[in-house]
Amino acid sequence: MELFNENSKLAAVIHKDHSLLPVINRLGIKLGFGDKTIRNICEERGIDLNFFVETINVFHYEAYFPEKRLLDFSVSIVIDYLVKTHQYYVNYLMPENDRLVELFLLSSPNESTENELVRKFYTKFKDEFVIHINFEEREMFPYILKLSEAIANPDLRTSFKQNYPGYSIEGFEKEHSNMDDKMDDLKNIIIKYLPPNYDQNRGNAFLSNIFLFERDMKNHSRIEDNILIPKVKQLEKVLLNHE
Amino acid sequence: MNSNPNKSIVLISPSDVILAGLFEILKGSIAGEIIRLHRSDEIIDYPEIEGNTLVIATIDELEKGGELLRQILSVKGAVQFLPLLSEMSTAQPNLSVSLSDSAALICYKVNDVLNSFASASIKDPDTELTRREIEVLQLLTKGLSNKEIADHLFVSTHTVISHRKNISEKTGIKSASGLTMYAILKKIIDVSDINPDELI
Repeated sequence: MELFNENSKLAAVIHKDHSLLPVINRLGIKLGFGDKTIRNICEERGIDLNFFVETINVFHYEAYFPEKRLLDFSVSIVIDYLVKTHQYYVNYLMPENDRLVELFLLSSPNESTENELVRKFYTKFKDEFVIHINFEEREMFPYILKLSEAIANPDLRTSFKQNYPGYSIEGFEKEHSNMDDKMDDLKNIIIKYLPPNYDQNRGNAFLSNIFLFERDMKNHSRIEDNILIPKVKQLEKVLLNHE
Repeated sequence: MNSNPNKSIVLISPSDVILAGLFEILKGSIAGEIIRLHRSDEIIDYPEIEGNTLVIATIDELEKGGELLRQILSVKGAVQFLPLLSEMSTAQPNLSVSLSDSAALICYKVNDVLNSFASASIKDPDTELTRREIEVLQLLTKGLSNKEIADHLFVSTHTVISHRKNISEKTGIKSASGLTMYAILKKIIDVSDINPDELI
């Protein structure tokens, strides 16, 4: 498994791992980039080069953990990326799941109890997804952004401490697990337990999309765990040292 | 313990190059997990390992941490060691992995050890639920809490939790609503027994 760097040609990177396509979209790059290297493209578009390289490597190589010295980009860049990831899920992957699960269920010869159950379970899974997104966007991200503002501007520190008394990033319980469980259960129900009288190709199409979603979600979590959280802990330490 | 169908491989080397290479070669060979460590004492970060374990580690790490590895892992199941050598071993080539071995040979040696676990096991992975597990599942799908299930079956809450863990391991389904779906699809309960709006 290779790692990419700023001198890699972006087209070659995509040929190696096309699952990076939505990732580079979120980082602000659209198709049609010719033979440019990652460095060229980032300089042209004003994208943080380090963050771009680290993000595609974290996504591409499961065991990759960025070196500390490379974590010098601002938290707002990371959060902007994570919010764009959420938008990709909400505006594209979820509607696509909705469409594919319905096509799959409609391929059953008769409308059955099983279909009703799968629909209900699928809705539960989507509820968990909404809980996850709301938690991050309404609670966790605002806290991190305010913390980073308070570090940059000492005048804001008093009001930050009043608004978030005794808060720390560790106190934000990770809300990923319920959703991960539901996603696993959904896959297992379809792969292992649903009767085989559905159209197989439609089943495969739905499952492929769920696997794609799962992989993207895992990487989303890894970017939080390996890039964002260490950075936030660093900021919390800085704030503590100013007291 | 030997009836536990799980198998894991633990790779230990200070070198990322070696860990990545062995992982790439072996990742298709095993249904269980492959854990990569730089030092043997990092094993304490993986309390979730269950079942039989094959440890592939440099001689150095085996000398330093072999005892600790055996202590921790033998509680979960059988443990076997394959030393990782930088030179080809002429003494006992089948009982070690050498960096100069071909990928196919490494897979062959590893599978040999993994298969020896299988023959030591009593039977193949048993995915059928026991009668007791079915009872727990039925009560669970009625919306009872662990405490209520325990009272109903005259067992401790701890026992119920352990049954639930086994049910999830066997079925691959973790959430209560997922287990309800499973129970209906497997005809363990009837859909008319429950309120699907509440439970799924």
